[in-house]
Amino acid sequence: MASLRKTRVALLAGGLAVAFMPGLARAADTIKIGVDEPLTGAVAASGNYVTNGAKIATDEINAKGGVLGKKLELVIEDNKSNPTEAASAAEKLIVRDKVPVLMGAWSSTYTLAVMPKLMEYKVPMVVETSSSDKITTSGNPYIFRTAPTNGMEAKAFSKEVGKFHIKKADFLVVNNDWGLGAAQAFSAMLKSHGVQTGIEQTMDANAQDLSAQLAKIKDSGADTLFVTTEVEQITLILKQAKSLGLKQRIITTGGSSSPDQLIQQDGDAANGTYHILFFAPWFPQKAENPKVAEDFVAAWKKRGYEFAGLTEGFRGHDGIETIAAAIKLAGKAEPEAIRKALWEVHVKGINGNISFVKEGPKGKESGQVVPQIYIVEIKGGKVTLPTL
Amino acid sequence: MRRWLGWLWVAFLVSVPLWMTDLYYLHVLIITGIFIIASMSLNLLLGYTGQLNLGQVGFFGIGAYTSALISLGFELKLTDNFALAVDPHPAWLGFVFGVILSGFAGWVVGRISFKIRGAYFVIVTISFAEVMRLVALNWVSLTQGPMALNNIPPFTVDIPGVWEAELYGKVPNYYIVLAVGVVSYIVIRRLVRSRLGRAMIALKENEPLATSVGIDVTRYLVLAAVVSAAMAGAAGSLYAHYVRIIDPDVFLFIYTVTMVIMVITGGKGTLAGPIVGGLIFGVVPELLRDTTRPEVQWIIYGGLMIAIVFFLPNGIVPAVHQWWRSRVSRAGVAVPLSEAP
Amino acid sequence: MVAGKQEQSRGSGFLDQLLQHVVNAVMLGSTYALLGIGLTMIFGIMGVVNFTHGELYAFGAYMMFLFAMVLKLNFFVALVFAVVLGVGLGALIELVLLRPLRGADIDTTMLVMIGAWIIMQNTEQLVWTGVAKSISTPFPEEPLVLGPVSISWLRIFVFVAAGLLIVGAQLLIHRTKLGKAMRATFQDRDTAALMGVSIGRIYTATFALGSGLAAAAGALLGPVFVAVPTMGDLAALKAFAIVILGGLGNFAGAALGGFILAFIEEMGASYISSGYRDAMGFLLIIVVLMIRPTGLFARAERIG
Repeated sequence: MASLRKTRVALLAGGLAVAFMPGLARAADTIKIGVDEPLTGAVAASGNYVTNGAKIATDEINAKGGVLGKKLELVIEDNKSNPTEAASAAEKLIVRDKVPVLMGAWSSTYTLAVMPKLMEYKVPMVVETSSSDKITTSGNPYIFRTAPTNGMEAKAFSKEVGKFHIKKADFLVVNNDWGLGAAQAFSAMLKSHGVQTGIEQTMDANAQDLSAQLAKIKDSGADTLFVTTEVEQITLILKQAKSLGLKQRIITTGGSSSPDQLIQQDGDAANGTYHILFFAPWFPQKAENPKVAEDFVAAWKKRGYEFAGLTEGFRGHDGIETIAAAIKLAGKAEPEAIRKALWEVHVKGINGNISFVKEGPKGKESGQVVPQIYIVEIKGGKVTLPTL
Repeated sequence: MRRWLGWLWVAFLVSVPLWMTDLYYLHVLIITGIFIIASMSLNLLLGYTGQLNLGQVGFFGIGAYTSALISLGFELKLTDNFALAVDPHPAWLGFVFGVILSGFAGWVVGRISFKIRGAYFVIVTISFAEVMRLVALNWVSLTQGPMALNNIPPFTVDIPGVWEAELYGKVPNYYIVLAVGVVSYIVIRRLVRSRLGRAMIALKENEPLATSVGIDVTRYLVLAAVVSAAMAGAAGSLYAHYVRIIDPDVFLFIYTVTMVIMVITGGKGTLAGPIVGGLIFGVVPELLRDTTRPEVQWIIYGGLMIAIVFFLPNGIVPAVHQWWRSRVSRAGVAVPLSEAP
Repeated sequence: MVAGKQEQSRGSGFLDQLLQHVVNAVMLGSTYALLGIGLTMIFGIMGVVNFTHGELYAFGAYMMFLFAMVLKLNFFVALVFAVVLGVGLGALIELVLLRPLRGADIDTTMLVMIGAWIIMQNTEQLVWTGVAKSISTPFPEEPLVLGPVSISWLRIFVFVAAGLLIVGAQLLIHRTKLGKAMRATFQDRDTAALMGVSIGRIYTATFALGSGLAAAAGALLGPVFVAVPTMGDLAALKAFAIVILGGLGNFAGAALGGFILAFIEEMGASYISSGYRDAMGFLLIIVVLMIRPTGLFARAERIG
């Protein structure tokens, strides 16, 4: 039918138009850094905090003239708290936006999803949050992690086990690489200190009703409960634990607990809980680089960002600082050069001094930093150092 | 006459990778193509039998997971002593199994659902997709749950001595998707024009009448469901081996909604409808990427859907047909009737 | 490393846990009942597959956030506002989207409802962002402890409020002129029209009322959990499960269905697998529809 032909010609024209669309040129005078973070979905709170920290770092660097005479430009893609989206976002950043380096992807599961893309396109990525040990031990030379692994966290905590007088511990973890890895690392560590492990319960990252899991934990006879998940879910857990009358002392791992947010949203239910963090903005002077830490806290406050987000925001800041330093060392904004340069960086980060050591199978090592770890307590509606 | 036109169109599509050098746009076309295949499968049920299957993504996901698992190999613990271990197999075998398994699922859903109609059918189909999602999420030992099936092998060609390759690149995948797309189109076209197709349309137009004439309603609906599901499964398999990572969110209702929007805007019950709709909704988000946020885009799509239902209830393709016909008849030009379908 | 492995049950320990689960289920059931009643009215009287029901639920929760947290109004005042606005939004949707389509086939209305659902959810995401919103309440944090069972005061309030609303709706349906007209329309639309019932007005009232109940459920549950833009999706599907369980248009069936669903969820999550908690509703739908396509409590009637 003639009309059908018309439709098809129209399609053809449309197709051609689309084909020539790529002409939308972008300003070529910036160095792009891809940011693959969860801005919506189950862990949106943390993803936004990290991205804000990244923005602060970018602005600070640009204010000082940028890198190699050009301004830094963050190209931010939302991975929607989903691994497939994380991989897809990385692909977009690399193929469409042609970024020479990435930072991401927050959760271990999303980072693991992105890793094959890094191998395929040979682009390095700085991992700022993910803590699964698998990330640096699977032979991917494009991974450079500034966050601690679950194993490092457990090791750092092992010094405190005695102080906490833990006899039997339960686990309530999110059911992905991060949570399961944390439970594994911590229970191995506890066993080596003669502590009994009780029951291990998992939860979906999107689950809001944790009463089934908590009811079982209530009856387990343990004195401590390790919780590994992100702040939005911890908020729900503390509320529900309280209303169930849970007796265990709660310790969160992973550093994404934003204690101030817990105080704000849980009130009294947050008191008496402990949190493992990688930055303690209430005592910046205790950081390895106090001035850097204090400056960051001030810059964050100045922008009116929520104070609670500092415990995560620093990750984005340190990540971008590291990348910028690498680009500078490399002398050009190209993936392979940046990758090589990352091995040479020495950055005074907020968490501590950042420089990468080799980890993983020989010949294909990833880079790993050994960061500082803090433990805080929420008492009387405030964050303090543990009073044990 | 039209057949010639159709092949011209295919030739044009075949030529695209030769002049479209930007890999990213090729990527967009591949993803769009996969969704067009899925939309065509939905159109078969929705447009031709009038059954609104809102669980179509369930078949897509089954195809994806099956294909991925076959190509990755898996181990299924059936009892304490017995485990079913499957070695990794070539992706095309996964594709075949994906199509078969989703076709089977279509049969099951068809048999169950076609005892009930209308609103209840819709709800059952939605529930089916949701249950599949929750199964994929919780059956971690098989599907890896939220940790996703990663590193899915791409399609491979293994003709010893002639051609051995792993098809990672965008260009080979584009051709694979195009091939499956063309085959799917031909299958649907044949089906719709066959006796089976006429029976389905009779069902849609007037079910009691059709039944009274002796048409076995359930049998034809189930058949349509099987073909529709198998095609969706094929699309799912293509998706799995191109994107190379699958997680339970592949079963989300929003993907069914995307397919529904494509079919409805393009024109349900037409052959070209899902293609037009698919192109629009595959390409437009990319064009809008720089100017509008995703939420705003979706608001626009939702509004568009409502507008189409109100003003162009049959979709764009039929509306364009009508407009062209009215133009032609006004101008007094004789439209060659040899081009009638 | 596996979820859901239960501890060795010791006599009284098992009973205590069971009691706690029963209490939890009752609380949840009351809100589910609200959701179900609202939908069964709309579905039953108007024949519309209301995909926006879940969004009204989310709307109720976000309105609580707006009034109680952002505007810092009194919690109970906020609750009233949230429900009233829910009623208003429902009426608006009916007037703008459904009324012009009156008489169209069921698929058309479904598609329009889906479009409306997309618009509403994305508007919520645009306005409130994807980060979860917590709503504080004036109730004490310490739970009420009755023997082995702990109940938070908030949940007790939710139960009472939901119960009152259910009773209120019941009274409205059975004791008022409007309710009588609604029931007449449900039984036989054409006869009701002949008898002078303004079908248009009844439809608007039904949709508004049903939406109001959904908003109430959201406003009550929002403070118990958190408000996220996608919270309506699961709620809507559960509402459908309840409606199917109880039978289309069956008020008592929906109320009972709500409690049954809550019980199945709670027991299933606690004793079978916590991961499949939300699947219970869907499995229920499929099973019920296979066995008794008209629902557990409806009179046997031809469907379709």
